Amino acid sequence: MTFLEITEGPLWVLASSVFVLGALWRIIGIIRFGRKPDISIPRASALMGAIKGQFLHFVPHGGFSFRTRYHLVAGYMFHLGLFALLIYAAPHVLFLKENVVGFDWVTMPRWGFILSAEIAFAGLILLWIRRISDPVMIQISDADDHIASWLTFLAMLTGCLALDESHDSLRALHMLSVEIWLIYFPFSRLMHAVTFVFSRGYTGAFFGRRGVVP
Amino acid sequence: MNKSMKKRLPFKRLTVMACFMMLFVWVFAAGMTGSFDLKSQAYAQTSGNVPGKTLGNQSDSDFWRQLRRGQPFDLSGTPGGMQVLIQTPGEEWRSLRNGPLSYWGGLLILVSLVFVIVFFLVHGRIKMTGGRTGRAVPRFSQPERWIHWFIASLFILLGFSGLFVMFGRYVISPIIGKDAWSAVASASMQAHNLLGPLFIVALVIMLGVYLKDNIWQKGDLTWVMQGGFFSKGHPPSWKYNLGEKFWYWLLFFAGLAVSGSGLLLDFPWLAERVQQLQLAHLIHGGSAVILIAVSLVHIYLGTIGVEGALEGMTQGYVDEKWAQEHHGWWAEEAMAEGEDVVEGAVQAGQPDNMPAE
Repeated sequence: MTFLEITEGPLWVLASSVFVLGALWRIIGIIRFGRKPDISIPRASALMGAIKGQFLHFVPHGGFSFRTRYHLVAGYMFHLGLFALLIYAAPHVLFLKENVVGFDWVTMPRWGFILSAEIAFAGLILLWIRRISDPVMIQISDADDHIASWLTFLAMLTGCLALDESHDSLRALHMLSVEIWLIYFPFSRLMHAVTFVFSRGYTGAFFGRRGVVP
Repeated sequence: MNKSMKKRLPFKRLTVMACFMMLFVWVFAAGMTGSFDLKSQAYAQTSGNVPGKTLGNQSDSDFWRQLRRGQPFDLSGTPGGMQVLIQTPGEEWRSLRNGPLSYWGGLLILVSLVFVIVFFLVHGRIKMTGGRTGRAVPRFSQPERWIHWFIASLFILLGFSGLFVMFGRYVISPIIGKDAWSAVASASMQAHNLLGPLFIVALVIMLGVYLKDNIWQKGDLTWVMQGGFFSKGHPPSWKYNLGEKFWYWLLFFAGLAVSGSGLLLDFPWLAERVQQLQLAHLIHGGSAVILIAVSLVHIYLGTIGVEGALEGMTQGYVDEKWAQEHHGWWAEEAMAEGEDVVEGAVQAGQPDNMPAE
């Protein structure tokens, strides 16, 4: 078996299984935590607060908009660029069709692929710089944050190295870095990709019940 | 048969033979001249051309001479009209790239590296005289630090990938073999092409952010005349000494040259002729090796070479002693103004008032 066949075969099955089962385990764990009964007088709907919270937290509160401007812009650059790459880049769509979902969809033109990649890289590098230079971020960042940043960067970088699609070894290297990232994902802060729904919902419900905009 | 008849027979034979010979010569000449009336000139007499009939009136050597000298030909089945099959200046470009550019560029980077190592071994780390005071002078704002580290990250990635592309065939390929080198070269090229445009954006922003303190100021020459970085004492300077200003302006001109040429190489359809791409490549490579060579000195001085320098770019402030020793005139101004407060640190130039815990 070649290196590429291993990374696109058994290693892919292992990594994706760990990813799915690990994420499910974390989500079930969060749900099973439950919450203590809220005995405050309900002034408005907690459910509506939970739903509103999902969307309102996409932008910072008015008073924080200046101080959060840098990481808001860099954060959106990185996340939107990465989502565009993952979902609409032709090599990814082909891989997902063959290995996951069984169907394909419209893909970006190559210039869109390049532009998304550059925006995503810029956002990730800017966020990493903030993490290692801002005094508050230095205090609250731990090894998990740095490992997650570097694994994500490596997955993106190896993808960039394999852009020409001319060497199996480069493609296999990208697959390997993605599989390491997938295995690390459920046990790290990368799970914020799933848990943000819960945290926004909880905060929204808490304040919504009290009649406060979350 | 009498004697007179015998004498007449040889003459008749000679006459017939002569006629046949003339016929033969005429046929041969007609073939050579290409005309029955023998009016065309022989090819051997037409302006030095080699006789032949390859393409009508043109000889093989003429045809290949024109091809070699870059004459365009109307190729059937190709769009865009006349096409040049061989462009000779490309050989000159190739010789320059694989010859002087590679040789002198590589030598420049090696000399810079050796210089840094030798300087460190001879001078050691330049430390603050008498140690730190513990008081902070704000030096770089957060946007200045962020744009610096952003462009530094891109510089490192582009520098390494560019060096692989330029020198890999001489250094890496003999070690890992041609197959593996092919993958490394492809990867380096892709990374270099993708991250290049980001560098251009970052460079423009950085040049704008740092411009105001890198203009020539009275006293800049004093720093040089007193020995600059090689002096035993600490000649005074403004926020950036002339060495640092030199680095800024080198980044300005060589950085823009490497960016403009790189943009053309990244989008080659913007060029009208391949010679423009060849020139862009030489400018790109030449500017890049100069930047890399000087950046080694910058990285050395900013990290291990001078005690207290790195924290300016990581935390935003420097120790008062460092500021006074290395940038005395700037330190006086900064401490007198006292506008920017360094959170969590004792402010230099102010009464000692530790932040409340």
